Amino acid sequence: MMTALQILSIAAIPALIVFIMVFATFKGVKIYEVFVEGAKEGFQVAVRIIPYLVAMLVAIGIFRAGGAMEMLGTLVGPITTFIGMDPELLPLALLRPLSGSGALGVMSELVTTHGPDSLIGRMASVMMGSTETTFYVLAVYFGSVSVFRTRHALPGGLVADVVGIITAVFVTQWFFG
Amino acid sequence: MLNYIWLGLILAGVIAALSTDITDLLTDKYRNEEPVDIVLTLQEDIEPEAGKEAEGSIRINMEYLHSFYGLDPADQREQNFQVYLTFSSADAAVVRIPAQEEFPSIWNEMIEAQPADEDELTGTISILSRAGTATYNAEFIPEPIRFAVLQKVTNEGIVGYASIAVTIALGLIGIMTLWLGVMKVAEEAGLVQTLAGGLRPIMVRLFPDVPGNHPAMGAMILNISANMLGLANAATPFGLKAMEELNKLSKKAGTATDAMCTFLVINTSSVQLIPATVIAIRASAGSINPTEIIVPMILTTATATIAGVTAVKLLQRLPVYRKQLD
Repeated sequence: MMTALQILSIAAIPALIVFIMVFATFKGVKIYEVFVEGAKEGFQVAVRIIPYLVAMLVAIGIFRAGGAMEMLGTLVGPITTFIGMDPELLPLALLRPLSGSGALGVMSELVTTHGPDSLIGRMASVMMGSTETTFYVLAVYFGSVSVFRTRHALPGGLVADVVGIITAVFVTQWFFG
Repeated sequence: MLNYIWLGLILAGVIAALSTDITDLLTDKYRNEEPVDIVLTLQEDIEPEAGKEAEGSIRINMEYLHSFYGLDPADQREQNFQVYLTFSSADAAVVRIPAQEEFPSIWNEMIEAQPADEDELTGTISILSRAGTATYNAEFIPEPIRFAVLQKVTNEGIVGYASIAVTIALGLIGIMTLWLGVMKVAEEAGLVQTLAGGLRPIMVRLFPDVPGNHPAMGAMILNISANMLGLANAATPFGLKAMEELNKLSKKAGTATDAMCTFLVINTSSVQLIPATVIAIRASAGSINPTEIIVPMILTTATATIAGVTAVKLLQRLPVYRKQLD
């Protein structure tokens, strides 16, 4: 299983590119010209998201560096403990929507210290894989089209995050508890 | 909403930092300006005078040092630390102590809180009396520490994250350019349209305000497929392309449409089928079965996505959000 997955993840991108280029050539597409034409916008898009990303990440940076997460943790701690989530997992749950690399760091630390096959290790793995970094996605996606009135996107995304974390706790207990 | 959350993150961080810092000051956690008794031994028996530099070591009674800071008792009695001195007069010097394993934990915290980047504790030493050849009874006063957390907020939170944001954005240039090019080729060859055709019934339901044959549909499908396969670096360019197409359907610049919000929530709730990174971490941590979390994870992510899409579909009917479209 592991090796098959590894091969798949290594081969997927080259295979996809080769397939598209060969198929397009058969269809009579001038692939080099068209590629360059499409790729032109890449730079502008990346540059366009900078102000949005800076705004979002600096706010998250202040929140984290100031230690607000630990304080939020003591507030919601009783609730998460009540639903059967180990307090050790709380930082991961809170960090997941805010910072992808931060959450990955916490997750690998939990998996290493408690063991990948412990309940905490499994719960951390499920949590990590089941939601995305909401704030980052919001900044990048809306930033790329210069949208700043994001309407109900963030509340919707946070609902998905909260449901994801709670479901991760129950599903992991059900599967491995 | 976003304005308040943004303000909330900033305020919460600053208030948390201030409350920790003020507590530390009130409880005198770092014992600012208070001298620690030490014995100073210089490497060579020089005559201390202003401007002279010297190397040496200081000996500290660890039991005393720990009780000085109100820490748990130390397990060692005496400890020597290497020091570098720059004399400012015959009996006073600026001192740097490189970090060592035997440092009490609070000294490591203090190093982090000190403005210098170096991994060393700085302060001043005053010589009280000569105790032997090149040896003196002396006092060590660490550089006072005030508002350490607030300083961390400035250095790490504000300055640090601002440059991280730019690094991330610039890092996107390469893969953005690549995948936008590949996607253009796939579009011209009719591949995207074929893929979009098969999934049209579902997509039209999810995005009722996007015409079924609109290029946005193809880009969104590519994005969701790449996400499912765990190809994160292809998913983002496809997703941004989709946003660009969706934006062409928008009637009000700068405002998210219903379709954009739905698409965003599908992305933030992640519809991964193969969590490659998580599996790799589990495998390297020595899991017997690193992939065993795939099924519970798919169940979880599906539940989160359904909840998110339901929420977004309900929220878009609220008058507050409708009004913003006019």
